[in-house]
Amino acid sequence: MADIAHAEPGNAAKRALPAPISPWAQLLRQEDWWSIWIGLGLCAMAALLFANGGSLKWLAVAPQKWSQPTEVLAQFASNGSRYAALFFLWAVLFGLGLSALGIRLLKFLPGFALLFVTTGLLYFLGSWSQASHYNLEPPLVALALGLAVANSMGTPAWWLPALRVEFYIKTGIVLLGAGLPLTLIGWAGPVAIGQAAIVSLVTFGTIFMAAHRLGLDPRLAATLGTGGAVCGVSGAIAIGGAVGAKKQDVSIAISLVVGWAIVMIFVLPLAARSLHLATGVAGAWIGTSEFADAAGLAAAQSYGGYAGQVPGIAGTADAAVTAFTLMKVIGRDVWIGVWAFVLALIATTFWKPTGIERRAGVGEIWARFPKFVLGFLAASALITLFSRGVDYATYKHDLIPGLVAPLQALRTWAFTFAFLSIGLTTRFREFAAVGARPFYAFTLGVIVNVAVGYVLSTSVFGDFWSHL
Amino acid sequence: MTTARSCSSCGHFHNEPAAVEAAFAGLSSLSSAYAAVRASDGLCRLHERYITADSLCLGYAPRGATSTRQS
Repeated sequence: MADIAHAEPGNAAKRALPAPISPWAQLLRQEDWWSIWIGLGLCAMAALLFANGGSLKWLAVAPQKWSQPTEVLAQFASNGSRYAALFFLWAVLFGLGLSALGIRLLKFLPGFALLFVTTGLLYFLGSWSQASHYNLEPPLVALALGLAVANSMGTPAWWLPALRVEFYIKTGIVLLGAGLPLTLIGWAGPVAIGQAAIVSLVTFGTIFMAAHRLGLDPRLAATLGTGGAVCGVSGAIAIGGAVGAKKQDVSIAISLVVGWAIVMIFVLPLAARSLHLATGVAGAWIGTSEFADAAGLAAAQSYGGYAGQVPGIAGTADAAVTAFTLMKVIGRDVWIGVWAFVLALIATTFWKPTGIERRAGVGEIWARFPKFVLGFLAASALITLFSRGVDYATYKHDLIPGLVAPLQALRTWAFTFAFLSIGLTTRFREFAAVGARPFYAFTLGVIVNVAVGYVLSTSVFGDFWSHL
Repeated sequence: MTTARSCSSCGHFHNEPAAVEAAFAGLSSLSSAYAAVRASDGLCRLHERYITADSLCLGYAPRGATSTRQS
């Protein structure tokens, strides 16, 4: 470090730096914060309307169950203005956020219009009375359709600015908080954190040791390990940056995470279905063993769709998504800053120098904290506070349909935007070649992760998750 | 903390979200370069590494003095 400090003591060191982004400016410059403003803003608007005798449900339109195509046409005819208003709402909110992030509104809007229409059609398809019979769960159909388009004819370039998977999924997660009482999060959070800690440490250890045995660079090993054990692609880029990994190594980790995450979106719900797991148990398993929030929510929401439709599967549809969110978001995602700090410390202290120096600081923990989780907790606190003192009958008959259900419908829209966007942005031919050794190390971690996640979710904490 | 000679002001360093997403295929499929977890990390074109903005190295070149800067 001393050599660097004295290498070029000329005028360059005295020149003006670019203006640093202040913590306050980040409130408008990061996707996480915008997902909070949008999600929490909708929750506040719903609460205000409800408090004044109204409801957001006119705007939060969603397809109703149908069995004949004529019923679909009738729904469109009677609710056309509501769908138009909903499109306008989403376009304004997401357009505003993306404009602040530097994505031009005029480039976003045409793609978003097509995304909204396609999502609406998939939403209608999922409301068909025979959808479960033919395995037409909207998340899986959206993903499969997107993958088919992206990997055959290719997703048109003008559509890409509207395909913001993470923005939609984070907004949906904030809205999800409105449906979860803070007491439930407080009750289930410690179990989720405990289970996630076990599986994260075991999975990371497996991938890191396997990569080490196979002779891979420790920075690649750490990037692969956190991609598999903590939070998927987000984990890979966070740790890749924290330890100063080679660009190619980050690409390898991203390719492996995305590839396996997409396989797991289809495999985990099918495996859980064949095992007749309760929705809460399956959600916890998916939350433990999927790699990315968007991928896991696609799997969990699909499995939740089996509730009441597939014989032998107990629990509610929401239990799968709730268990997944508690396990993945509260149990795993929030720790990425700690992983980054610890691994950066290890990298700078023990691993072979790269010619690039840095000092690891505890500030890394907050800098990398996934801020949208705060929005999820705030939404839960807001609705919990709002419903305080309300008896159960009033809650069930007034608050749920008038306040919570519209927010759930908006959440489903946001999630489906994300599921469709995953497929449309995943072009396998563009992925980096991963090589055999990283593949073996990561795949071993996947196997261990799935097995340990299954045992923890069904046996060790099975009773807890089945009663969620 | 960044200093006058840290990567954040180096011409070899690129951390614009669009550039980061263009560099890593698959990043925007299940994550985002606009996410908080990425902090201010970016690509060093000199070392071909993905690094933090507060890093330092002997190859520091003031922005504008290198040919790797993207508009």
